[in-house]
Amino acid sequence: MNVENLFASFKHALGGAYLGDRTIERTVGTIDPGKVYDLWITVERDSFHNAVAHLCTEYTPHLSVISGDDLGENVALNYHFTVGWGERYGEATFTIRTMLPKSDLSIPTITDLLAGAQTSEREKIEFYGIDVVGIPDSRNLFLPEGATIHPWRKDLEEETAKEVKRMVKWEGRNE
Amino acid sequence: MNNDSINLKVGQCAATTYTVPVGPVHPALKEPIRFSFDLDGERIVGVDIKPGFAHRGIEYMGMKRNLIQALYLSERICGICSISHPLAFTQAVENAAGIEVPPRAQYIRTIIGELERVHSHLLWAGVGAHELGFDTLLHLTWNVREKSMDLLEELTGNRVDYAIPIFSGVRRDVPAEKAHLAYEALDYYKSLLQQMIDAFLHDKSVEMRTRDVGALTYDQAIELCAVGPTARASGVKKDVRQDMPYLAYADMDIRAITPADFGTEPRGDVYDNIIVRLLEVQQSIGIIEYCLENLPSGELMSIPKVPALLAALKKASGEGIGRHEAPRGEVIHYVRLAEGVEELAVWKVKAPTYSNLMAWVPKFLGDEIADVPIIAASIDPCMCCMDRVHLADAAGNKTTRMKEELVRLSREKTRRICG
Repeated sequence: MNVENLFASFKHALGGAYLGDRTIERTVGTIDPGKVYDLWITVERDSFHNAVAHLCTEYTPHLSVISGDDLGENVALNYHFTVGWGERYGEATFTIRTMLPKSDLSIPTITDLLAGAQTSEREKIEFYGIDVVGIPDSRNLFLPEGATIHPWRKDLEEETAKEVKRMVKWEGRNE
Repeated sequence: MNNDSINLKVGQCAATTYTVPVGPVHPALKEPIRFSFDLDGERIVGVDIKPGFAHRGIEYMGMKRNLIQALYLSERICGICSISHPLAFTQAVENAAGIEVPPRAQYIRTIIGELERVHSHLLWAGVGAHELGFDTLLHLTWNVREKSMDLLEELTGNRVDYAIPIFSGVRRDVPAEKAHLAYEALDYYKSLLQQMIDAFLHDKSVEMRTRDVGALTYDQAIELCAVGPTARASGVKKDVRQDMPYLAYADMDIRAITPADFGTEPRGDVYDNIIVRLLEVQQSIGIIEYCLENLPSGELMSIPKVPALLAALKKASGEGIGRHEAPRGEVIHYVRLAEGVEELAVWKVKAPTYSNLMAWVPKFLGDEIADVPIIAASIDPCMCCMDRVHLADAAGNKTTRMKEELVRLSREKTRRICG
């Protein structure tokens, strides 16, 4: 895994939309220590789909999961890919981060590039209230059908608590 | 009767599909699930999957607790993989906080992780045999599995939820006086492995019920981000222990196992899932043996006092990713720690079934309703406990079929094809 070349190809492909990168190098093994890498890049939302398209062109990525982080004014989305799987020490985690303002929580789907992303995208729709534009199926996945709460949004904790209380009461439990 | 009326009847018949909801399953399981199958006769032509019936909000709860409390919560995400989540979680937090783990602790974590793989794969094999109607093999497999559960109890004190990993190391040692128990168990499994392979892979009825059933192609496995034995059965050489080594796996030459290691071309069907899991039991035995023979001496935790550990974690800030190859595939935990705060700022957990959900769709399509139990079981043993099935015809008339009836259908198919 040539980290510099990987970052350089994304910089070249995305231009000004490439906002930065970070490499975390870790030493593993106790007898003959080796190196493994966690790689991060941050991109503008408008070029996010291009970034994933570039990743799919240059590599055969695996999407582990998408994580979110409510930062107050914005929600950060971290797409945790891995690249280079298939050989010993060949793989690194490669996270593409993009920031969505709370005033416009939308992002294009990447299911056209990697169909397996759908599960994680649907989870972000329900848990953060994000509009994933173009996703083939946007129904609730883990939350009950019809539930409109977004439990991982810190600004909506009051609504979440109220709804959870209502559901618990509906189930006939006391707490 | 004129030709028009015949055509109309034929047309009506061809257009009739049945929707068969399967589940949700027993709510005590990790992930009860509901499948809605569209059937054309016995053939599955469409499937919709709805998980989430027992979503407990573990990540949300974990973010309201201190890190050590969250660690014990992570152990309860799954009753079968009860060390897989703590292994990924501790690594994520240790990576974020820059905490070192002593070599002996890394080896002990690996031993328990691999023992879990042995008992999980044997559990799965027994469930698979039961779904096919081969209960003798279920009893043999689960009897054999007990040895690994007994050993886990001897080494950790518990048959499940071992409470071994803690940030900066492990809570308990593998004492020298108990090592002979581990060697005994390994010898026991070595002596039985060929018998298991013969019983599953050289049995005509097992082969007829699982060959080309529930197939997932190599390209589909990659496109759908499948993980673990589900992906490896399709020939995808993806295994975190090989690809991005960690713990004691970095000291060994681990290779992802595919059906090619059994000398057959990968087809991604249920039979190939059996091959991969049985060979992985053999691989795990080798890993445990290596760890026992090369167990480094030294401390168990780099920060042994819990108050000091909590204080170090409270001071830490940053992000960390932890991954582990659980029996069913890649587990990944992402954490963000904020300085001065005892709780996790962000905790995202991804279990293998989450990644393999979408792989179920191509696996089911084109197969028969009687194959549902074994295909559902083929990716994950927690999902096979279907408690009931509702059948609805095109007019909306509903009938209910219990899980037992679906299993009966599966068994009848075994008898039918075995003559």
